[in-house]
Amino acid sequence: MTTYPIDIKVNGEWKQAEVTARETLLDALRNRLRAFEVKDGCSQGDCGACTVILAGRPVNACLTLAVQANGKEVTTLKGVGTSEQPDPLQKSFVEHGAIQCGFCTPGVVVSAKALLEANPCPNREEIREGISGNLCRCTGYTQIVEAIEDAAAQGRGGVGEREDA
Amino acid sequence: MNDDRFDVIGRVTRRQDGHAMVTGRQLYSSDISLPNMLQARVLRSPYPHARIAAIDTSGAERLGAVCVTPEDVPRVKYNERQVSVPAKTYRDRTVLPDKIRHVGQGVVAVAARTEALADKALDALDVGFESLPAVFDPHEAMRDGAPQLHDAVMLGETVLPIERNIACSREAVEGDVARGLEEADLVVENEFTTGRAYHGQLESKAVVCRPEADGGITVWATTQSIHNTRQLLGILFDIPLSKINVQRVPIGGSFGSSIQMNSSVAICVALALKAQKPVKLVLTREEDMYDHCKYPSNIHLTYGVKRDGTLTAGHLKTVVDIGGHNIQAYPLLGCMAGWFVSLYRLPHLKFEGTAVYTNKAPACAMQGYGNPQVTFAVESMMDTIAEALDIDPIDLRLKNYVGLGETFWGQGPTVRSVIRSCGVEEMLLKGRAMVGWERRGSPARKTGRFRRGIGVGRGFHTSGTGAPTPGEVIDYSTAMVKINEDGSVDCLTALMCHGGGTLEAGAKMVAEELGVPLDRVGISPSNTRSTGYDVCTHATRGVYCGGASLLRAAQDVKKILLDFASRIIDVNPEALKVQPDTSRGQGFVFLPGAPAKRISVAEVAKTAQIKGWGSIIAVVSHRQVNCPPCFVVNFVEVEVDTATGQIRPVRAVAAVDAGTVINPDLAAGQLEGGLCRGIGLALLEDTTYKPDSGELTCGGYLTDYKIYTAQDMPSLEDLSTFFADTYEPSGPFGAKGVGEAANNATAGAVANAIYNAVGVRLTEAPITPERVLSALTREAEQLQQGR
Ligand code: FES
Ligand code: FES
Repeated sequence: MTTYPIDIKVNGEWKQAEVTARETLLDALRNRLRAFEVKDGCSQGDCGACTVILAGRPVNACLTLAVQANGKEVTTLKGVGTSEQPDPLQKSFVEHGAIQCGFCTPGVVVSAKALLEANPCPNREEIREGISGNLCRCTGYTQIVEAIEDAAAQGRGGVGEREDA
Repeated sequence: MNDDRFDVIGRVTRRQDGHAMVTGRQLYSSDISLPNMLQARVLRSPYPHARIAAIDTSGAERLGAVCVTPEDVPRVKYNERQVSVPAKTYRDRTVLPDKIRHVGQGVVAVAARTEALADKALDALDVGFESLPAVFDPHEAMRDGAPQLHDAVMLGETVLPIERNIACSREAVEGDVARGLEEADLVVENEFTTGRAYHGQLESKAVVCRPEADGGITVWATTQSIHNTRQLLGILFDIPLSKINVQRVPIGGSFGSSIQMNSSVAICVALALKAQKPVKLVLTREEDMYDHCKYPSNIHLTYGVKRDGTLTAGHLKTVVDIGGHNIQAYPLLGCMAGWFVSLYRLPHLKFEGTAVYTNKAPACAMQGYGNPQVTFAVESMMDTIAEALDIDPIDLRLKNYVGLGETFWGQGPTVRSVIRSCGVEEMLLKGRAMVGWERRGSPARKTGRFRRGIGVGRGFHTSGTGAPTPGEVIDYSTAMVKINEDGSVDCLTALMCHGGGTLEAGAKMVAEELGVPLDRVGISPSNTRSTGYDVCTHATRGVYCGGASLLRAAQDVKKILLDFASRIIDVNPEALKVQPDTSRGQGFVFLPGAPAKRISVAEVAKTAQIKGWGSIIAVVSHRQVNCPPCFVVNFVEVEVDTATGQIRPVRAVAAVDAGTVINPDLAAGQLEGGLCRGIGLALLEDTTYKPDSGELTCGGYLTDYKIYTAQDMPSLEDLSTFFADTYEPSGPFGAKGVGEAANNATAGAVANAIYNAVGVRLTEAPITPERVLSALTREAEQLQQGR
């Protein structure tokens, strides 16, 4: 099988991989770059477990070809924050019990990150819409929506306050 | 909710595995990757019923793939589920089949260096099928001349011929139903169905198997029981258990989908043993959907009742469409009987259940194990009775529910216990006030396109399957607790956490008992080598049974701790107490009122090590001799669009009587998640089949199967949860379960709310807009004819 070399900046670090023409970004990230924090829940674009931020936009890595990511920047859950320096979203998810089995979490947190970057002050409806591509079978979403709401408030320096509005 | 009796029990703490999950360091079976690992794929039948005529693997082998066919695997008949005692275990399958019994059944498996190569090898396989007539409806399957799925199966060690596709049946009788119905002032009867919902756990089933140099294997699998997986692999592949190690791996949701050792595990092991290399097999979403689904129900229910609302008799008949294989239909029928008789007091009762093979995906346990199905029917009927007798539905329930001091069938007729804690009345009354029950009104007075209604559903689930005598179901857990030389604690157990916080609860119990700060209690990674037997994390038994085993081990450890401490500080161990000092990150042993008689747990453990007294360690196998009901109450308000048939839940109150609540935030999360899956069962979920091809109508796509997203999840304006204030005397620190109870009462509450909105009784779940519209039309026509 013919392979093509690609360069992807994964969580701030340039990486090289040899991928086939039809290989998805999901397979390249998991199988070649060992980014196992990106989960595979369906490979069909239905569940959102594989959500990553590609060049600033959230995408389903399973619906994106690896070659499309050539020369671009990819952020996975590990790029959102680390255990030493967690993002407010990550802290908020733990505090609100917004994780049960945790399998949807990598995708949901990345979608939420993309949402807050585009819209730092979303209302509940906007949050629901922002994560509507991410299925969670465990929680019923209530605590996830609350966790995102709370993280957004913290990002603005306090509950319900927003200076630069 | 903080409970002053305890240091950590009942307090909101940050779950220990939360950080790993939220920073992407938690790895599941599907993330395991080993050097030289091959990727496996399985060729699956496109036919619902077929003979396998010929298999040619040469094309795949030329590509370098390793192949296993039905010829290459052990012929042992087995059942994926190993929870029943052997004599009550129905065995009707082999690692790869002798005959195809549903679309999607695996026939030949291949393993190759990469997924792409495995896919190519799959394409290169040549398998000839001889299609047979298929049957998809359980009633048709029981007719004379219907296609037969199985000629005979094994029940324990005896050969059991199968007739009319009846896999098994069960009856339970007490009193005389005919007499009870005669004594009644009112007899009501109706028929109810629920769908074959799909578990939809977010991680599709996955397994990795590595053959070891000693002829053994190491296995990482999505499973709710590592020990049953090991035992079954030992039987199938004739390997001593000492050479099979199954690792406990986090699972990406389960809801019953991995209660059994999934068929893919045995297929993967067969490949790995042949290849003598590690092999990984991850089911695609489509394959996962053909692997298992929820037991559907078809229930005929009759009740007799006196004018004052006292039930005189109940008769429930059910036919269960179990699909191509019998995984646990026999205990299911027993449990359905138990759920039925334990909801409301019945002086005369009869249960008749029949499980029938059809050419569809095999059904298995899914949250509630027959309970949401039975409760949907029973709770719908309670409202029918209440209306007919002009009694408030809540009063009718209060009059008849099985409560304190009464007998409860935790797992069917053979597992009975006396109820010793019960928060039913508290939950019904408090929930009634919270939801605004007085707003209900009568459906006859509701007009306009959008009509709202409020409904109640009541239910329960068992906490485990323990009983005073050994029954048909195995139930015990083993735990090891050890105090380390710095005062921290290791716990070892085979118990699984499916996300609800089971292991967190276990750690809290150990911390509470030993007086050690919670963050110093660790649940160690474990496997079948390092742990004693634990039956399975199922049946809402995690906290009540598994937690109790950890608590028992901690109690034994505490005795040693106090004994060692007494030697050092010279105080009678009986007089010593323990308490955490979180500021110093240590537990302390002390004599109340004597400040000099105080020593840290670390110092005791270190001294014991230096002086050679030994480790502070204990292992306990514990069986609960009870399985108390965790009661649940749901109030749901819905809005029915009478023009489209769309139903929108707008408000809900969910309450559980879980005894002492160990993790209040996580238990509330379980209530919310359960409620949502219950709404899914009521309104949305079913796996339907194309009648000509036997394929799933949804084609294996989650989008077409439809589970709620955050956006189309009925956006509840107001969702409240609360806990009954009870204490279960037989539970660890007074705890019972939550798990499955959370979704058992929901579908009934939804159906009752719809009735309260539009005055039409919907008995077929999922209650789709089409079903609502046709029921509304029928009702309107009847009204017109009546006029
Ligand atoms: S794995 Fe990509 S959407 Fe499910
Ligand atoms: S936490 Fe399990 S799928 Fe979301």
